[in-house]
Amino acid sequence: MPETGTDNAVYVYGIVPADVESEPDTHGVGDPPQLVKTVRRGDLAALVSSITTDSPLGRPEDLAAHAAVLDRTAAVAPVLPLRFGAVVTDERSVAEELLATHHDEFAEALGELAGKAEYVLKGRYVEEEILNEILAENSELSQLREAIRDKPEDATRNERIVLGEGINNAIAAKRDADTRTMATALADVGSMLNLREPTHEVDAVHIACLVETARQADLEAAIDRVARGWTGRVEVRLLGPLAPYDFIVTHTEEQA
Amino acid sequence: MTTAVQPSGGGTGLDRPTPTGLADVIDTILDKGLVIDAYVRVSLVGIELLTIDARVVIASVDTYLRFADAVNRLDISDTQHEGLPDLIEDVQSGGAKAKTKGALEAAGDKLHDLLGEDSGENRQRAARDRGEGV
Repeated sequence: MPETGTDNAVYVYGIVPADVESEPDTHGVGDPPQLVKTVRRGDLAALVSSITTDSPLGRPEDLAAHAAVLDRTAAVAPVLPLRFGAVVTDERSVAEELLATHHDEFAEALGELAGKAEYVLKGRYVEEEILNEILAENSELSQLREAIRDKPEDATRNERIVLGEGINNAIAAKRDADTRTMATALADVGSMLNLREPTHEVDAVHIACLVETARQADLEAAIDRVARGWTGRVEVRLLGPLAPYDFIVTHTEEQA
Repeated sequence: MTTAVQPSGGGTGLDRPTPTGLADVIDTILDKGLVIDAYVRVSLVGIELLTIDARVVIASVDTYLRFADAVNRLDISDTQHEGLPDLIEDVQSGGAKAKTKGALEAAGDKLHDLLGEDSGENRQRAARDRGEGV
């Protein structure tokens, strides 16, 4: 397959140290998925695969493949993940323009990441539990509820909006408090935290942390201690090791 | 692999799902990570977001009304588990089938719209600036 034809380009997943090999038979984005390989330059290598430029990209399979290539790598080696959708003209451009031009900067970042990976913690409130908790703590809301619950919906629309907004605000306050509790526990293990925005109205915590993979058991134990206090109230999931998506920064000197 | 280690201790507390679901991937790879445009000229590939099986959060008043309904139901049917049918819908290809985008960024924004991530209504923390540029 020609690498430099008008219809072909190179999809870039991430940047790794030059001694990292892509696992044989790893397939990436595209339909059909293309074989992942490395393009090397100096101390660096880019994880890439061939892609045709005339077909769209962005199927669920493509998104999953991008993450899978990076996360599998992150479990065993430092990797600078690129945002989904990065495509370069050809392999020569990957080596000359991407790797060579920013060689030292990338190498330094990879050095800082050595031995570490990202973990993402997601907690979601068990709705019935959190609503009961809020009503028990907030007499204003529970009185409002008593006042309108047996009345027809049409006649109490405004009151119901006020009640619902109060519930929403109460959940937000609990989210802040619970996020602080969990962040404190994570900070004892993680070298860096990123408090992510909630992605759901009953999200409790959403935190990314950069942790030494050797300390994964410590991380899980720390989370478990907090999560046990939340049993039945918050469902907690931990993803990882992942590529350090939340902790890789693009320097844009041309921007203010 | 993102699997491996089990939670320390018994059945409660921490859940370690595997593999990572698509919604988790979307949270992560579309607006985080190195942006290649800052480094090299790229030949853009049109991103078409087909059938993203994502969840949509309808903001504000709908959310409030749903919460109000939920608390009003609480002791009427405590045993009945209510999901979020009014609120969460699968996104089928319809809304997401934008033709080739002018830029890769645009596709990411589009998906965020679908996910309701840009509503800003209930954002406590402005993490947006952490994804890049800090």
